[in-house]
Amino acid sequence: MERTQALLNCLYQEAELLDEGRYREWLALLAQDVRYQVPVRVTKERGPEGGVSGVMEGMYHLDEDYTSLEMRVARLETGFAWAEDPPSRLRHFVTNVRIGEPRPTPKGEESEVRSNLLIFRSRWDRPDYTLLSAERRDVWRQEEGGWRLARRTVVLDSATLPTHNLAFFF
Amino acid sequence: MAKVKTGVSPRLSRMLEELQEGVEDGLVPAWIFNDPELFELEKEKIFSRAWVYLAHESEIPKPGDYVLRYVLDNPYILVRGEDGVVRALLDMCRHRGMRVCRAELGNASHFRCPFHGWTYRNDGRLIGVPAEREAFGQDFNKEEWGLVPIPRLEAFDGMIFGNLDPEAPSLAEWLGDIRWYLELVTKRSPQGLEVLGPPQRWVVHTDWKLALETFLSDSYHTLMTHRSLIELGIAPKDAKYAMYGEQIHIPGKGHGSMVVGAPPGAKLPPFWGYPEEMLERARTSYPTPEQFETARETRILLVTLFPNFSFHNPIRKPDHKYQGAVPMLTFRVWHPLGPGRIEIFSWALVEKDAPEWFKEKTRHSYLRFFGSSGTFEQDDTEIWSHVAHNAATPQGRHLRLNYRMGLKLEPDPNWPGPGVAYGLNFTDANMRNFHRRYLEMLLS
Repeated sequence: MERTQALLNCLYQEAELLDEGRYREWLALLAQDVRYQVPVRVTKERGPEGGVSGVMEGMYHLDEDYTSLEMRVARLETGFAWAEDPPSRLRHFVTNVRIGEPRPTPKGEESEVRSNLLIFRSRWDRPDYTLLSAERRDVWRQEEGGWRLARRTVVLDSATLPTHNLAFFF
Repeated sequence: MAKVKTGVSPRLSRMLEELQEGVEDGLVPAWIFNDPELFELEKEKIFSRAWVYLAHESEIPKPGDYVLRYVLDNPYILVRGEDGVVRALLDMCRHRGMRVCRAELGNASHFRCPFHGWTYRNDGRLIGVPAEREAFGQDFNKEEWGLVPIPRLEAFDGMIFGNLDPEAPSLAEWLGDIRWYLELVTKRSPQGLEVLGPPQRWVVHTDWKLALETFLSDSYHTLMTHRSLIELGIAPKDAKYAMYGEQIHIPGKGHGSMVVGAPPGAKLPPFWGYPEEMLERARTSYPTPEQFETARETRILLVTLFPNFSFHNPIRKPDHKYQGAVPMLTFRVWHPLGPGRIEIFSWALVEKDAPEWFKEKTRHSYLRFFGSSGTFEQDDTEIWSHVAHNAATPQGRHLRLNYRMGLKLEPDPNWPGPGVAYGLNFTDANMRNFHRRYLEMLLS
């Protein structure tokens, strides 16, 4: 129960950091060997075994490691990142959290954490907004000082994205 | 140039006259970037008659492989038949007009309509009609009811284009001299290119001409739009880096290219920074020594085809800490959805015979800088959205925009490639040439 609560807290704390644009603090939640991927999803026929369809291997919207995520954050700090300056108003709605059994690994104890995500994004002074829905399939690892995100795969619920860019994190 | 024709409304005719009067002087009415009536005319006069990029042959390598692509909002199944021939079939059942293929990609020997079950082979032939005799009688001839192929389909070095106009000139004639610049990429290796996966697709509230302009002629925007990447040391320190090099346009065709070398004093490896083995292959792969010499000095190459295809091939690296260069190549279609609204189809490609480590790295060089999340492109789409919005405002419609950069530049007589070249990239010459061609098609 303690582990469940700790991981739930991680997800909610992470959403707060992302919604408030505190990206340096968000980086501190990531493991140094983090793999962060948002695969391209396409419309395909239903497979005989069911499951999610059309999640492509090999092409992504984001395929990041710690260094590249740090680069994206550093960019936002330059004062010239027009896509998010002025910033979007973002809200990460994290629901349906499913926490797997812990398993020991050479790098520390890891736990699978799946969650549903609804991102609300509004920009400028216009009343329009964008909604992006997804499932996040994470692996969190217990390291010194707490849980760190070691792996995230974002399964989008869109083929063609209804937004002009992905200048934010899932 | 032809006079503005009757048949369009007085307001649209006034707009076209304004463009016609202004184009040589570099004055472009802002409202061409967001107008419903003009968009209808563009659909009829440009996109129904132009060669539109559909797919790369490496997307459908095996018999039965297909992808779904669009010319305007006409859906086409681009499919390789059992005979190896690539066809583009209108995804519309001949019986009641239902889609027979609703997946974006896959492999199929036939397409069966979910409405009444008419079944077509992947070469378009109708082969099955439920209760054929009982329902349609003895004299029903299935051969007359196959899927309708696109009126024209042609390829250039693996790039597949379609055209809705049966009377259109050949693709080779349409492309003309821009082929020399396309070949700098398509003939860099004897094996040619392959896609690194399906395209990213996303929607931007902007005009297709505005998006295209960035890749056709606008080196100038890099110093401000992409300032964040200069600050991070991703783009060269010299903010005017994209100024150096040649801007070339193909008169009468609307196509253009930008060929950018290393800024003075910058130590950038030759040949975009591609691995040495690729440089050596290119030496004999290119059709002419001039193309090889040009390629060796190139660090950034863009080619844009009239009306809505661009590629971008810059020296890059997978992240700001990576030592060394890993160039990237992206193809994209600025697919028009409506006035002030486009969908971007963006592919990453690489030479088939590139080393495996390089293929992996170049995918990252692409994803982190271009495409839906790219740190360059995300600022482009932000800015294009606002310009298109302004273009449709009552006051914005009265403004003429400044396309006067480089109006007095003289062509570079020493440039080895075809077309009209200028020895400086800070010019709107390619855009003025585009608008000439744009007007010519709208008015004919």
